[in-house]
Amino acid sequence: MPKLEILTEQQRDLLLNWPSPENEDSPWVEMSKPLSECKVALVTTAGLHVRGDNPFTTAKNGGDASFRVIPRITDPADIVQSHTSIGFDRTSIYKDINITFPIDRLNELVALGKIGSLSDNYYSFMGALRNVTGLTDEYGPEVAKKLLDEKVDVVLLTPT
Amino acid sequence: MTTGISLVEEHARKIKPPRMLSVPFNFGNTLGEANNPSYQHEILAATFDLLNRSEGPVLQIFETDEIERVVISRTESKIESITEKKDLLLELSDIKPDYEKALKTNKGRTAVGLSTINPGLFPDVMEFLKRYAAGEMEDSEMRPERFSIGHFVRYCVDDLKSYYLESRIAVEPEASMNELYRWLWSDTSLGDLLGELADVMNNSEDKEVKAIAYGVAR
Repeated sequence: MPKLEILTEQQRDLLLNWPSPENEDSPWVEMSKPLSECKVALVTTAGLHVRGDNPFTTAKNGGDASFRVIPRITDPADIVQSHTSIGFDRTSIYKDINITFPIDRLNELVALGKIGSLSDNYYSFMGALRNVTGLTDEYGPEVAKKLLDEKVDVVLLTPT
Repeated sequence: MTTGISLVEEHARKIKPPRMLSVPFNFGNTLGEANNPSYQHEILAATFDLLNRSEGPVLQIFETDEIERVVISRTESKIESITEKKDLLLELSDIKPDYEKALKTNKGRTAVGLSTINPGLFPDVMEFLKRYAAGEMEDSEMRPERFSIGHFVRYCVDDLKSYYLESRIAVEPEASMNELYRWLWSDTSLGDLLGELADVMNNSEDKEVKAIAYGVAR
């Protein structure tokens, strides 16, 4: 977001009072090989999914914490966004999906040899959850297992 | 291991993911600027560079020039219009060539499609939304069974907003985000319809419809 001081008072209050989880520390694993030898996956909270897949919904219990699988080879023309949050600009993703889901940029980094390879599947959640229990207890671990099964080394996380 | 981008520095400080690049862009603009691959690569390089740190958590601030706040809500964006607005259906048919141009420019990519209704049937969707807003219709036979009525209305609204804004971008590619939203809310009959729809839904006794209402005019 732009600096807090240029937001409206309402936006500032909303962000500062958002029920964001608070952690004391975080897990830490050091890189054991260069990025050019790593398999990278993309995980977004932009509420994207393949056209025809079930859209994200306005859930009563603090948000839809489920996820959608987006196969890497999906044509960008077939990726749509059903994020229920009303607080973000959509015109940029109309112009360029890479603004939040940098699929072309990652392919370019592989072609340049900066990234070793890409996972077969990418994953999409919907952010702006007021209750993250479903994410932390169920869907997050499920996606983590899928990433491990696919022998992913690095996950790139992008919000919207 | 993970590395990522954060749009809200204050939240990243609380959550403490192992590696985060905090960027100062408006929501919806994570990689800075649409159709600017070199800038997007700059941001990605800074994000991947965090993988080389030996200890964490790391919250790196991406410094850039001051960003203008994007205003997307009808209430904030709408100004007195000097444009003579057209009848809804005429307005829709008039922008069809612009939407087709958008499809060509974007190689077939479009955000339209959540409602599952083909754009060729959008006149019927408009008619349904008008009558829903007027309290004359409570449901539509176009609604797929898997969608509740509240969600169906929302997906129809999202599709129409996408259709209009993608059309506008096709003819005004240099328009800023704020100019695009100002046009939608001030100069189109769809903007007026969505304002009425939001008011009606906000007064609904159906809690889901009421919850969805807030997003209709944004």
